[in-house]
Amino acid sequence: MKVAIASFAHTHAGSYAYLLGQMPDVEVLSADPDGAAAPDTGPRALRGAELAEKLGVPYVDSYDELFAWGPDAVVVTSENAGHRALVERAAAVGAHVLCEKPLATEVADGQAMLDACAEAGSILMIAYPVRFAPSYLRLRAMVEAGRLGDVFAVLGTNNGKIPYDARQWFTDATLAGGGALVDHTVHCADLIDGLTDGASAARVYAAANHVLHQDKGVQVETGGLVTITYDNGLLATIDCSWSVPDNGPTWGGVSLQVTGTNGSVEIEPFLPHVGGTDEKGEVFLGVGGNLDESLLATFLDAVRESGPPVPGKTPAVVPQPDGAVGLRTLQIVDAARRSAVSGQPVDL
Amino acid sequence: MAEQLADLRVGLIGAGNIAHVHVAAWKALGARIVVYSVEGAESLAEQYGLEVAPSLDALLAEVEFVDIVTPSPTHKELALAAIAAGKDVICEKPLTLTAADSHEVLAAAEAAGVKVYPAHVVRYFPEYKAAYDAVQGGRIGAVAVARFFRQASSPAGAGWYRDVARSGGVIMDLMVHDLDQAQWLCGKVTSVYAVQNPPTVDGISPVNVSAHVTLTHESGAISLCRATWGVPGTPFRTGFHVAGASGVLKHTSGVDTGFVEELQKEANAAELLIPAAARGESPYLTQLRELAIGLRGGPEPRVLGVDGVAAVDLAEAARLSMESGKTIELNGAVA
Repeated sequence: MKVAIASFAHTHAGSYAYLLGQMPDVEVLSADPDGAAAPDTGPRALRGAELAEKLGVPYVDSYDELFAWGPDAVVVTSENAGHRALVERAAAVGAHVLCEKPLATEVADGQAMLDACAEAGSILMIAYPVRFAPSYLRLRAMVEAGRLGDVFAVLGTNNGKIPYDARQWFTDATLAGGGALVDHTVHCADLIDGLTDGASAARVYAAANHVLHQDKGVQVETGGLVTITYDNGLLATIDCSWSVPDNGPTWGGVSLQVTGTNGSVEIEPFLPHVGGTDEKGEVFLGVGGNLDESLLATFLDAVRESGPPVPGKTPAVVPQPDGAVGLRTLQIVDAARRSAVSGQPVDL
Repeated sequence: MAEQLADLRVGLIGAGNIAHVHVAAWKALGARIVVYSVEGAESLAEQYGLEVAPSLDALLAEVEFVDIVTPSPTHKELALAAIAAGKDVICEKPLTLTAADSHEVLAAAEAAGVKVYPAHVVRYFPEYKAAYDAVQGGRIGAVAVARFFRQASSPAGAGWYRDVARSGGVIMDLMVHDLDQAQWLCGKVTSVYAVQNPPTVDGISPVNVSAHVTLTHESGAISLCRATWGVPGTPFRTGFHVAGASGVLKHTSGVDTGFVEELQKEANAAELLIPAAARGESPYLTQLRELAIGLRGGPEPRVLGVDGVAAVDLAEAARLSMESGKTIELNGAVA
């Protein structure tokens, strides 16, 4: 199977490239033509051919060459604003698509991407790896079995370090679509989507501010609280703040507390770790397993089983989370952005 | 201090659950306690060796200040009666059930030259005080995003708690502690957005219910208060996560207590005598000592009447937000 990696803008591209490179039945080709123009500097800022060499994956200089190669599947890991163009090109050459989150920066772009993939018969899967965390799978099984009773409220937190030193585009309002509201609301929104069988948001309120990371001259919001009322009545609030200090022992984490009429369950998928102290301070050795591996395996299994896309035909296997989840979670982000500006809740 | 608090004469009004906790604290301070209650005064007095006042007026004539521990809907009239008799007031939270009533009580106290201290005991819990001191000391820089949560087994199964007109519902009854904390840590509030699920219908609160209230503060900070009346049996749990420009402070009750027990049943059935020092000082004792010192002319306590009024203002703004589905702006009109 031929799998293309389109762009190294997202830091997860490295993880995907490494994992794909380990798979005996997968041929990998990568391109990162915009990498040279990135403003990043420092040891973690590597892009383009140099990063491909370090990762040990073949590289071409242009997207034209990448798509002309005839990939069976394309992994889109560009800046958020670039997702649409690359997904549309992938669909146009008859490839299935795994797209980094968030789906896009604007709802209209996201809808166009879903339409393009549906027309081409391509799989569109969204890279929400926390879906594959053992603690989440256990929680979802419990919710589905009714162990929690009727679920009526959720608190989600996705706090992390500001993704700044290696990839400055994450804090560029145009390329990323916003700041913490865009980067971190979608993971928890996706986890809730998976628990509710795709409940739609009816009303979204967001408060956001810029108190964190002012020393870095960041223009986008760095802190945010997003409250969602779903069409089934469910109430959820997501803390999406980049509030893990730069010197924290780990990048951050995700938590989800789900409350029902029979009690509550709280998960923290990235909490399992070995702790300690070294000369720099606190040590945090995560032992949660590689969620990207499960994500990629689910995508590639679906690609294999579905075979080449047939225009106008739904793929035999639609791996989750799919484009529709990506669009629902993007709609929440978009409403949150508008609410943060107006100060009032936004009805969808 | 012992001298400053010598011969305290406390008028305890009410004899319900929280009365026991207050009595223990007052006794630890060596106070003489006179109790008046519509019901339960006799048995409380018998249990702890208190004096019983036959009427509210009789109590007011006997004591130097009152400690109101009655159900919330009675706070206003009892406080006004004590103020009219020229007595200082300590009052359980919420100060009253509406913003207008709280402002009226405070205004009456100011006019009469007496003090009203609301018993927002969470300010006296060591973890919350430690976080407050650290934030005040600049330890984590300017506060950016704060979260507070509080969950309890629902009291709304049968009694008066379900009647929102009497209990105030989950926000006024339970979250009011964290509304006070949010304001204490992050400063004055400028806007309030609130959602509750399931909603209150015809003034009757659901038994199992969560409320999420987002506050925007004048300082630029934002905060979330989350309160849940859980299924009966839900363990009481509280906590916070406060992120500032240069650090984070967090705490969850019951975690990191330094004591983990894992014993098999009947290992030793004999009753254990735990030394008092093993339990540490009750935050209620810390609170009532500080309030009494304030009433005796010492330094003002960490929580004042205006703070009790502000917490009720926020709870009321939250109710208005839920009713309207809109954000409520507080432009100095309240809070």
